[in-house]
Amino acid sequence: MNIKLPELKIGELIAKIPIIQGGMGVGISRSGLASAVANEGGIGVISSVGLGVVQSTTSKKDRAANLNALRYEIREVKKKTNGIVGINIMVALSDYDDLVKIAIEEKADILFLGAGMPLKIPGGIDLDTLRKQTTKIGVIVSSARAASLIFRTWSRKFNHVPDAVVVEGPEAGGHLGFSREQLEDKKQTLENILPAVIEMIKPFEEQFGKKIPIIAGGGIFTGEDIYKIMELGADGVQMGTRFVATHECDASPAFKQQYVDCTKEDIVIIDSPLGLPGRAIANTYLKDVMKGKKIPFSCPWKCLRTCDYKTAPYCIAEALTNACVGLMDHGFAFSGSNAYLIDTIVSVKELIETLIAEFTAAAEKALQLEPELNPTVSHT
Amino acid sequence: MDIAAKVREIIVREMDVNESEVTDKAKFIEDLGADSLDQVELIMEFEKEFDLEIEDTDAEKLTTVGAAITFLKSKLEK
Repeated sequence: MNIKLPELKIGELIAKIPIIQGGMGVGISRSGLASAVANEGGIGVISSVGLGVVQSTTSKKDRAANLNALRYEIREVKKKTNGIVGINIMVALSDYDDLVKIAIEEKADILFLGAGMPLKIPGGIDLDTLRKQTTKIGVIVSSARAASLIFRTWSRKFNHVPDAVVVEGPEAGGHLGFSREQLEDKKQTLENILPAVIEMIKPFEEQFGKKIPIIAGGGIFTGEDIYKIMELGADGVQMGTRFVATHECDASPAFKQQYVDCTKEDIVIIDSPLGLPGRAIANTYLKDVMKGKKIPFSCPWKCLRTCDYKTAPYCIAEALTNACVGLMDHGFAFSGSNAYLIDTIVSVKELIETLIAEFTAAAEKALQLEPELNPTVSHT
Repeated sequence: MDIAAKVREIIVREMDVNESEVTDKAKFIEDLGADSLDQVELIMEFEKEFDLEIEDTDAEKLTTVGAAITFLKSKLEK
């Protein structure tokens, strides 16, 4: 018997495998990684933050460069794949509306809106366009409460709701939608939050007559993890950390090497100038910052609405851009809690083949133990 | 309509706090224990209850009970 990973359907978009590569900024997931994932049947995601600076270190650090760079990446990715590609856009960005507008103009398949609450119609698009446009909208949340707020607001104000929900648990990398207290709380797990979100979304699926897939992310590392979380009701998974350790990942080799070299103890929670905690690999730069060292910077344009750039001890955009291009003494790498498990760089194809094999093995094992169970997997 | 009373009633209901705590000077975060989602929820309830739109830039300024009452009065009594 061969038990296969199911497809992931978001409206009329059908991904052959239910794996979404999480958007990773600054510059970590661009057209290179996103196209490689899309070509393997998953959903590749370009992170839209700070692309203007990371594309070329000599380019101007301004809003226009940033917007042009997103347009460029979307056009590039379309040259490299016919698969499904999404754009991750942080609500906290000061050019959020413009980035959304460009992603829709360039006909991105789907937007993933996170790092803030997307309560307004993004990009100043009108209601009619919102309902008819082909670009799907996914929202990233970390609790059923946040999902509820977004869906109630959209339902009441726009008579329309997002097409997909990504539930990002506390083991994720980068900025986290949890307070430090919540991160200490053992009950705050993806496995606990996911079913609550699924329950919360159900009435909206009925009200709007559409299936709203729920995608789980944060700490998913193996195909067995994928199997387990899908057994809990997830329609797909979002994975970031594993995709960093691929040849196709758009970060520099030095950045990826931090993933290979780090130990469990190196992975820490920091307070980001964005105003949220973040998970990262502690290198010398980050250890200095955590000890209270200030890294002087000039803010070319206030890229984050929530950044208090006058008192921030360092510029998060600058630190992450430096890390992306390999200047690890002048920046640091965000990572998920499992990054220490990575010991080698592989191709996206190899990674996905491994995940599929592990998923099948886990599903077959479960079926042998409880043959009457006929889970989410399809049999061929 | 007594706007101030209605505002206080919404805050008591949404924040699960005692009426006596909801003074004009009470700060949503520091005094009433609101987190960022509570704040969004409150703004949403105000919008629903008074049938109006509150811009983000205005919402950010509504840090105390008194500020919320003054803002809503100015919007509604025009």
